[in-house]
Amino acid sequence: MLRTIIEKEIRDIIGSSKFAISFGVCAALILLCFVTGAVNYKTSQAQYEAAKAENLRQMEGLTDWFSVQQHRIFLPPHPLASLVSGVSNDIGRTTEVRGRGELNADGSRYAEDPVYAVFRFLDLEFLFQVVLSLLAILLGYDAISGEKERGTLRLSFSNGLPRATYILGKLIGSFLALIVPLLLALAIGSLIYPILGVPLSGIDWLRLALIILAGLLFVGAFLTLSVMVSAFTQRTSSSFLVLLVVWIGAVLIIPRASVLLAGRMVDVPSVDELASQKARLASQLMEEDRTRMSEFNTPPAAPGEDFEPDKMLKLFNTFMDSLADARDKQMAEFGGRLNEDRANKQQAQERLAFSIARVSPSASFALATSALAGTDMFLKEHYRDQTMDYQQEYGKFMKEKTGLNPGGRMVIMLRDDNENEKPKEIDPSEMPAFKYAPPAFAESFGRAIFDLGLLAFFNLLFFTGSVFGFLRYDVR
Amino acid sequence: MMLEVPGAAMLEAVTLTKRYEDGVLALDHVSFAVKPGQIFAMLGANGAGKTTAINLFLNFIEPTDGEARIDGIVTHKEPLLAKQRVAYVSENVMLYPNFTAVQNLDYFARLGGKTGYTKDDYRSVLLRVGLSEDAHNKRLKGFSKGMRQKCGIAIAILKDAPAILLDEPTSGLDPKAGFEFQQLLDSLRTEGKAILMSTHDIFRAKEVADIIAIMNNGRIVMQEPASRLLGQDLERLYMQYMAGHTAAEAVA
Ligand SMILES: Nc1ncnc2c1ncn2[C@@H]1O[C@H](COP(=O)(O)OP(=O)(O)OP(=O)(O)O)[C@@H](O)[C@H]1O
Ligand SMILES: [Mg+2]
Repeated sequence: MLRTIIEKEIRDIIGSSKFAISFGVCAALILLCFVTGAVNYKTSQAQYEAAKAENLRQMEGLTDWFSVQQHRIFLPPHPLASLVSGVSNDIGRTTEVRGRGELNADGSRYAEDPVYAVFRFLDLEFLFQVVLSLLAILLGYDAISGEKERGTLRLSFSNGLPRATYILGKLIGSFLALIVPLLLALAIGSLIYPILGVPLSGIDWLRLALIILAGLLFVGAFLTLSVMVSAFTQRTSSSFLVLLVVWIGAVLIIPRASVLLAGRMVDVPSVDELASQKARLASQLMEEDRTRMSEFNTPPAAPGEDFEPDKMLKLFNTFMDSLADARDKQMAEFGGRLNEDRANKQQAQERLAFSIARVSPSASFALATSALAGTDMFLKEHYRDQTMDYQQEYGKFMKEKTGLNPGGRMVIMLRDDNENEKPKEIDPSEMPAFKYAPPAFAESFGRAIFDLGLLAFFNLLFFTGSVFGFLRYDVR
Repeated sequence: MMLEVPGAAMLEAVTLTKRYEDGVLALDHVSFAVKPGQIFAMLGANGAGKTTAINLFLNFIEPTDGEARIDGIVTHKEPLLAKQRVAYVSENVMLYPNFTAVQNLDYFARLGGKTGYTKDDYRSVLLRVGLSEDAHNKRLKGFSKGMRQKCGIAIAILKDAPAILLDEPTSGLDPKAGFEFQQLLDSLRTEGKAILMSTHDIFRAKEVADIIAIMNNGRIVMQEPASRLLGQDLERLYMQYMAGHTAAEAVA
């Protein structure tokens, strides 16, 4: 009996013109999404390579490493980021590396191409969030109330048919009728990536598979929710209306409202506030050092020794370097304290916002998929940590080359203006390359697992809700 | 099968009473019995309580008092068991518009526990209810009300249950189909089915029914074997009952 109902449900849904049209549109969008994702990735990749080359090119012809200005490193694009953009378009991708001090990335995708910021990208995440959740509602909103309206519920229950069997058949049938075709479209879509020449590593395939799983769980939650609502309403028009309101709340309102709410509840000092505090300290320290500088005195030349400008210059530069090191240390301590304090408050705020937002499956879906794609909020931090590691490497390299860590500051040099000897050019390729390592899979998965579980829980909750709703349903 | 011997009721209402949540007393201590091989016709104004009675037999609603029994099984106590023994045709048969007639038949036959039917079985039952062959494999979307009604009747026949509940089955049937339906009822009676039918068609009721009941305001105001009403003008009688005359006055 269960099988009969499941089969009928699948045939009923898939055979309807409602399904043919809406699923056709969705399948086309899915394919389009992978195509634009691949194209987008390739464009970003080309831009990234060009920027890297340009950075090296501008070092060409320089004759000493001191003159290297504006050494830039870049966050490389990731193929999955074109499917689940997360924050990847909002954060700065370009970091100007100096030997010292805080590094700040700028030049986000949205900042550079604001037109994309206006309408955002059509990525897989958006497709699931907005389009496929609506498809689920469209297929599920009349599951029970529609049968009642059609009069088929009466006829069905003139048989010795247990209600639990019926609702189970409905749920399983409509789930399969939605998930299987979607999975098919997504699988075909995934193949577009390698076909268009965007290679995915084994781990990336695994990530993509989990992203799709999260998507199906998300869509499944909306489907079971729709069946549940239809099992609590007598008319399709009311179930549709209820679902529309719930959809707006879950997809559009709750995630945004949670951020606003958490913002009101936990106060986080702004970056500007911090920056001005840091600037104040910096100028104070500079003031103090200036006095020290003016008091700089070379030890008197030993009797019988000549005044040696070279030696004196070296002493002076070492002195300046030590001052700078001391300043740096103090700044780093102070900045670190401020940053940490801010980070703690921010984390509390985020945690609160996410807890509120997770009332909606939409939030869980966004959090899980962006974690899996490596484009969640941690991307910024992850990238910064790596730029800071690179900064160490860079500083060491510069010290090797120049004997000093210039840190972009003024350095007094004595040039051997020997007209005869042509200065040798530096070899930019000696500069250590920045190798970005995306977050490890285990790390990403660890951050996604809770939300994946939550999505599964939503399915179970609405599933059970549907069964309970239907056991008391007036089938007349 | 023991109950199929003449005398034992297949469909039975025992002081069946239904008061809806809003206080309407739709059925007021109604009792009647339909034996195998009998057709019981319920006449009565709109809102008299006919559909309510049928809904009680199908356990769509719970009785306020009394009980409905199918083959001796109390429907609100063992609904699944009771409903295995009854087939039902609703007032306005609505099936799955995206399925063909045969697909609809197949689905509902399976729900009724009948899995062994072949294409030929569906074809012959559809022909039996008067649905022309070219419509058998068409989607129900384009069916007229009468065509859907015929499919509904076919579904009831396929269930092959000892009891049949018909709620205004002839509404929507053209005169020819109505006449054919009457013949169909005759043959079902010959097969030994117990049939409870609500109808507004006084003349057809008189032709086909074994027992005729007139309902008014949730009560059965007249219940007579059709044979005893042979010489009477049933329409006039009906009007008198509706006007509130007592049984004695009316028959007199
Ligand atoms: N769900 C309900 N809630 C409240 N009252 C109801 C409900 N269903 C029916 N009634 C009332 O019960 C009474 C009997 O209705 P019922 O549908 O049984 O009449 P009927 O004899 O089938 O009428 P018709 O010939 O129009 O089909 C009517 O007064 C109706 O208003
Ligand atoms: Mg009625």
